[in-house]
Amino acid sequence: MSASQSAVRSRAEAVAVSRTFDWMILFVLFTVVLGGYHIHFMLTGGDWDFWSDWKDRRLWVTVVPIVAITFPAAVQACLWWRYRLPIGATLCVLALLLGEWINRYMNFWGWTYFPINICFPSQLIPGAIILDVVLMLSGSMTLTAVAGGLGWGLIFYPSNWPVIAPLHQPVEYNGMMFTLADLSGYHYVRTGTPEYIRMVEKGTLRTFGKDVAPVSAFFSGFVSVIIYFLWHFFGKWFAGTGFIADDAS
Amino acid sequence: MKIIKDKIASLSFVALLMALTAAMFYTPTASAHGEKSQAAFMRMRTIHWYDLNWSKDEVAVNETVTISGKFHVFGGWPESVDEPDVSFLNIGIPGPVFIRAGSWIGGQLVPRSVALSLGETYDFKVLLKARRPGDWHVHTMMNVQGGGPIIGPGKWVTITGSMSQFVNPIVTLTGKTLDLETYNIGNIYFWHAIWYAVGVAWMWYWAKGPIFIPRQLAVASGKANTLISSGDKKVGIAFLVGTIVANAVLMGTTNEAYPVTTPLQAGTMRGIIPLELPVPSVSVVVDDATYRVPGRAMQMSLTITNNGDSSVRLGEFMTASVRFLEPDVLEDETGYPDDLLAEEGLTVSDNSPLAPGETRSVSVTASDAAWEVYRLADLIYDPDSRFAGLLFFYDEAGNRQMVMVDAPLIPSFI
Repeated sequence: MSASQSAVRSRAEAVAVSRTFDWMILFVLFTVVLGGYHIHFMLTGGDWDFWSDWKDRRLWVTVVPIVAITFPAAVQACLWWRYRLPIGATLCVLALLLGEWINRYMNFWGWTYFPINICFPSQLIPGAIILDVVLMLSGSMTLTAVAGGLGWGLIFYPSNWPVIAPLHQPVEYNGMMFTLADLSGYHYVRTGTPEYIRMVEKGTLRTFGKDVAPVSAFFSGFVSVIIYFLWHFFGKWFAGTGFIADDAS
Repeated sequence: MKIIKDKIASLSFVALLMALTAAMFYTPTASAHGEKSQAAFMRMRTIHWYDLNWSKDEVAVNETVTISGKFHVFGGWPESVDEPDVSFLNIGIPGPVFIRAGSWIGGQLVPRSVALSLGETYDFKVLLKARRPGDWHVHTMMNVQGGGPIIGPGKWVTITGSMSQFVNPIVTLTGKTLDLETYNIGNIYFWHAIWYAVGVAWMWYWAKGPIFIPRQLAVASGKANTLISSGDKKVGIAFLVGTIVANAVLMGTTNEAYPVTTPLQAGTMRGIIPLELPVPSVSVVVDDATYRVPGRAMQMSLTITNNGDSSVRLGEFMTASVRFLEPDVLEDETGYPDDLLAEEGLTVSDNSPLAPGETRSVSVTASDAAWEVYRLADLIYDPDSRFAGLLFFYDEAGNRQMVMVDAPLIPSFI
């Protein structure tokens, strides 16, 4: 077989090779995104995502969706504009959560013995499905940024509430009131993470009384819209193949 | 010859593999907390821990240990460290091998950060409940915002038993009894698994057909619009609506299941009450101080005046958690960590009882290997070469007075 001949000799072989190629690329994409997104998210979301006593109704709700919409926007740009595949956001979030769960179970629990109920990751899959479906239905980056990005921010708190609500039950402990999450953070000693590092319940949303989570979620959604645009362009640029001569021409 | 060379080569390879394997399996426990690497001035001129007591050296899982004592917030706090306006009484242990069942400063529970005042002395107590078996080095620790962790003395405590026996029962304000060690974990796994399955289902829907090459070819040839069918859109709408409705319903059912929830509790606690210590009747002036590098000894020339009504003797100099004792006056009976105790480390040129009204100039030498072992000698490389510490004087009845000293230090290299 010369170099100019095809490696496959029938349509069936071509399909089989194409499918093999699909799974290989999907696997590589999944693991590369897992690594990159995970590092990005640990560096930017960090403790808000690590600890249950950081998952508050103001800053966690605000920060996590904003820093988490980055990779989904970028990967969506690549998979949609090149392949019309509306799975970029879901793929990213599934990869991130798999990496996070491996980390939380193997390291946080298996290595340093923090119970999982203090160090579980935030839930992002519902927001990712919204982003992917809005992109598929609209085929528009702008609409996905505005409607999808807003939805991404707004659904974050409700989608996590079934998991964190039990930890927000109040407890009286040695004459002070805690939530169960606060008490976990106090009981399970983090030598390198003093309490004052915890950025929760800070801000100026006092006029909204106790109902600040929706306001925070709206704000998070608005900023997510902007971040979506930015990272969507990053994704488009990064997925370019201008370095290939044929494509460049 | 070639056979011998081959044998040597193959044996060397095997030896290399064995060495690598052994290195991988050799994972000694990291038990130190970096206390020796912390700048000497941080340990000497910030928080002075004293009168420390670890209630037990060995406990079973679920039993408690209390660490109690006092700490003095040094009045000459170094400029390069933020003042302790936001501080957290922590504990230096390798992860949650104990749980912190309680911590108090001045009798006030301090689960959150506190404001401390310079020059004041506070009593404290930390209650630890044993969780994970092993030998653990347990340090007192004060975290200061803008200053970092200021670590105090550490002592080894052994935990026996099995971690599987550990329980952490809590009663909520709604009357529910639960074990915080395991509470809600099943719920966390369940919802994460459900949503992960939904995400995988969405991925699978698209991955079951050709993904990359055929779709890329279609897009490149201008047939991108044919790649999303009406069926795809219907499935997408089902996922979208299902996701939104499911979350709305779950929000409602969760609120019904947990009608009483409160926000996370936060905020600095102010107004912590310091100890009301009597004003010392002994006054001390540091005339000069030198640190002799070859001898690992610090020498101070002090002018001591006894303004009280009972004669006193100098019994101890303490700095950076290292206690230098004058053996004729004081013997430690508290079980203080050996490596931080220089039982005969303090020499006073004239330590005969200082009578009321008397003033005396003495030369005091604090010498011990601890200067080197605990890297306190590095003080001479600090940008602000000063030392600080606590002097403890004892009268005839055994009453103790604490006097703070703070002065420039001149190194002596010969």
